[in-house]
Amino acid sequence: MLDAFALIVMQTAVLLVVAPLIVGLIRKVKARLQCRRGASVFQPYADLVKLLRKQPVVSSTTSWIFTATPYILFASTLAAGLLVPVFISRTPLSLAGNIIALVYLLALGTFFLMLAGLDAGSSFGGMGSSREAIVASLTEPAMMLSIFAIALTAGSTNLSTIVHKTALLQGIVTDPSPHLMAFAALVIVAIAETGRVPVDNPATHLELTMIHEAMILEYSGRYLALVEWAAGLKLLVFLTLIVNVSAPWGIATSMEPAALGIGLAAYLVKVSGLAVFIGLLESMFAKLRLFRVTDLLGTAFILALLGLIFFYVLRG
Amino acid sequence: MPLMTPPIGSQLVDLGSALLLLTCFGIVAQRRLSACVDLFALQSVFLALTATLVAFLTGIHHIYVAAALTILIKAIVIPRILKKVIERLNVSRELVMNINVPASLLICGVLVMVAFLITQPIIPFGHLLTRDSLAIALAIVLIGFFTMIARQKAVTQMIAFLVMENGLFLGATAATYGMPLIVELGVFFDVLVAALIAGIYTNRLQDAFDSVDTTHLSELKE
Amino acid sequence: MSDLTTTIAVSLLLLAPLVAGGLSLLLTGSRWLHVTNLTSIGTLVAAEVMIARSVFAQGSITAFGEIIYIDALSSVILFIIGMVGLACSLYMRSYMDEQVARGVIAPKRLNLFFFLFHMFLLAMVVATVANSLGVQWVAIEATTLTTTFLIAFWRRRESLEAGWKYLILCSVGISLALFGVVLMYYSSLRVLGDVSSALNITQLQQVAGQLDPHILKLAFVFLFVGYGTKVGLVPMHSWLPDAYTEAPAPVAAMLAGVLETVAVYAILRCRGIVDQAVSPDFTGGLLAVFGLVSFALAAFFILLQHNYKRLFAYSSIEHMGLAMVGFGVGGPIGNFGGLFHLVNHAFAKSLAFFAAGNIHRRFKTVEIDQVRGLTTVLPWSALALLIAGLALAALPPFALFTSEMQIITALGSSGLPSEWTQPRTGLPIVVLLLCSLIAFGGLLHRITSMVWGVAPGHIVPGEQWSVGHVPIILLGAVLVGFCWALPPPLQQLFEAASTLLVNR
Repeated sequence: MLDAFALIVMQTAVLLVVAPLIVGLIRKVKARLQCRRGASVFQPYADLVKLLRKQPVVSSTTSWIFTATPYILFASTLAAGLLVPVFISRTPLSLAGNIIALVYLLALGTFFLMLAGLDAGSSFGGMGSSREAIVASLTEPAMMLSIFAIALTAGSTNLSTIVHKTALLQGIVTDPSPHLMAFAALVIVAIAETGRVPVDNPATHLELTMIHEAMILEYSGRYLALVEWAAGLKLLVFLTLIVNVSAPWGIATSMEPAALGIGLAAYLVKVSGLAVFIGLLESMFAKLRLFRVTDLLGTAFILALLGLIFFYVLRG
Repeated sequence: MPLMTPPIGSQLVDLGSALLLLTCFGIVAQRRLSACVDLFALQSVFLALTATLVAFLTGIHHIYVAAALTILIKAIVIPRILKKVIERLNVSRELVMNINVPASLLICGVLVMVAFLITQPIIPFGHLLTRDSLAIALAIVLIGFFTMIARQKAVTQMIAFLVMENGLFLGATAATYGMPLIVELGVFFDVLVAALIAGIYTNRLQDAFDSVDTTHLSELKE
Repeated sequence: MSDLTTTIAVSLLLLAPLVAGGLSLLLTGSRWLHVTNLTSIGTLVAAEVMIARSVFAQGSITAFGEIIYIDALSSVILFIIGMVGLACSLYMRSYMDEQVARGVIAPKRLNLFFFLFHMFLLAMVVATVANSLGVQWVAIEATTLTTTFLIAFWRRRESLEAGWKYLILCSVGISLALFGVVLMYYSSLRVLGDVSSALNITQLQQVAGQLDPHILKLAFVFLFVGYGTKVGLVPMHSWLPDAYTEAPAPVAAMLAGVLETVAVYAILRCRGIVDQAVSPDFTGGLLAVFGLVSFALAAFFILLQHNYKRLFAYSSIEHMGLAMVGFGVGGPIGNFGGLFHLVNHAFAKSLAFFAAGNIHRRFKTVEIDQVRGLTTVLPWSALALLIAGLALAALPPFALFTSEMQIITALGSSGLPSEWTQPRTGLPIVVLLLCSLIAFGGLLHRITSMVWGVAPGHIVPGEQWSVGHVPIILLGAVLVGFCWALPPPLQQLFEAASTLLVNR
């Protein structure tokens, strides 16, 4: 019991601390690739602190949804984060839910964010929400399928079981083909869900292209800080999911301090590696037109489907 | 659940085959011609890696030769030829497709299933290193065949043909640890010459039709 | 006959086109090119005669450490390659020179033409004599690569289109065949275990019975579809009419007469191995059904043609389909009829394309409607066209009548083979007879309308005698002669070859 409690605290702390760092790292990588020095990787922390201290301005046309959304978003994303094994193959909340709960916790946040975008009644917010709805409705099935494909190969929908088995070279690695297809789908889903290039560009406020930024345009002060922090968390949760499901090696399998230390170090290295890769990816590709996004997400869906097919055709 | 762990080597070969299939899907989903060429080159690199792995695992040396040739011809020479052609023709993307991208991908998914179903009865018979490679090879061949029908640009059709060749080579490497060397050399020679000839053709087609869109090739009818 | 003479004969067979091809790039002046060409073809034919004699003596021969394998079947194919090649070379003497004189092509491009022609010949010879199925595949793909520029030789828009279609479709088809070869190798490797010789026909024939039937079935389907594309079987035929129309006449004659035959040969070779492990009804049914469908569809297309070269192209599909039915039905009569049909078709079709080439040069059109009064304009070509047309319509006294009758007899007696049900005779026979009637009417109607009537005013009448007429006369004589009496050595050769094809 005490163990579980300590784990919740530790994992929450790690997630909250690492999330802004990852955002800063990606920005730094992109800046260096554009031959700029770029802001320090710790800049997002400073931004958060500054925003938390500022007084928020709330439009008089908004309802309670607008003010409640940042809290709901932040809480749901953090809860999702606690369902994912981070540096230890056990998850703190594994009793509370499995991989499906994770998907719907994330979807809950997205749903409220879309409502909030509509709430203020500004044209940009509505536009952002409608676009987000398109992207979300296309990513959801692909995400579910890819996760199912992985779950099937591991024989469990519980993430900690999946990661545990993979870490001990059981199950998943014996079937690389479905695993690879599902993994590729998951990467595309992660990019779309977290609003990265080529689906959305987090660094722009260009009205023709923005999706996520359009929805949160009305936010300021501590509300904005929470939304931004939640966005960073969501990114981190996806990166963690990818890293730990596909290459969990090094993760702690017991609660010993030494194993935990190694697990934490390995986790940090892997996640920052993936962040650098995303930075590279964002520099290499241009943003797609919104109507081409369907092609990309269609690809993800088909790949995930293939993962499932592979599993059934081969082992069925 | 009893979960056996087969040798890691054969899983790596399977992984390589799956990567080849993945790039195949990339080619089907990609509209930009130069990106298609890059993906083809990437696929050839994966192919060479898989072949090297097979050569290493089986200790058959002439597969190394084939792998080296794959890198040289399919990952370097042919992509360069194709890039030159694209540059000269000044076409960058496939604008009209007979079948749109999601539908093509769905069809390709079905083709993969078909490939698995066809090869299912023969897989257990072999002394195969891998389970999936032969099926994946057939799937790649079928996807290449489909791409040939679904696309209209001469360059894309050429890439589709080369993708088919890659699938065949994967099949030969995975199922039989390579063909006899003389056959393999012959196949490489044929592929190279075919690519050269297709390059010459696209130039001439461009001169004659002001386009490499093969839908314009409709002067010959019943 | 000693091993040494065999080795010499085989080397000559391979070296003649190779050396001639090399020389064609170096020489200047059309005269020397033609001399090289005729010498090389002459050597080829002489080598074939020597080989055929040793095949008679020994049954089958291998050379160069089992790289080369020749039996009666390959000898028949070599015979077709040599004879049609010789006829084409003689015809080219007048045809190509006239094209140069009229300024259609630059004299220098003649070098390229002859180079490609010889490489094409070489590839076909290799495909016929190779012991390894892999080498055979490489050679057949090489025929595609060498002929694509021959088809597009005039470099008009239409010919480029035809060449591109041919290249793409045939390459794709042949890739599928390679998958079949891979599967074949996969199955034989498990039995033989020897990496370098597991694709050799000599080895495969010995162990064929032990090969896995599942894999062989799958392999044969791929091989059949792949090489069937080269044969031009429906539905993989769409490149064929375009290519035959656009290719220069001698090239079209080679494609129709020889290349298709070589592709059929490749199918038969694989079939010989597959049949020993799988019920012959499987391969037979596949061949016969595809053959019958090709035959029937091509017969209807013949009715629709307005272009005489396309007319002959569809007639090719028709006759190849018929030969396939013969091989598919099998038995001594079916196989002999199929093989004999291949030979006769090769001769008749080259004759038809020679005549078509002459007509095209004079009338400058391929439209049937615009060609009238050939008897006055080009009396010799008119006669050739008539002979070819009647022969292709399978009328007596032409050899195609004999072979078609044999195939129909075989079908009538054994029926269409099927793996699952009893062989069926009734419906296939009706379809075959009905469609041959349709093709017969279509061909004769078109050809007679060209031969008789009043020539358009602007066409100069009169035909000058040239070397190009020699093969026309000879082929016509052969077509008639084969119907009455097949020369005994040839008869023996064909019979030996068809016995090889009969399984069990």
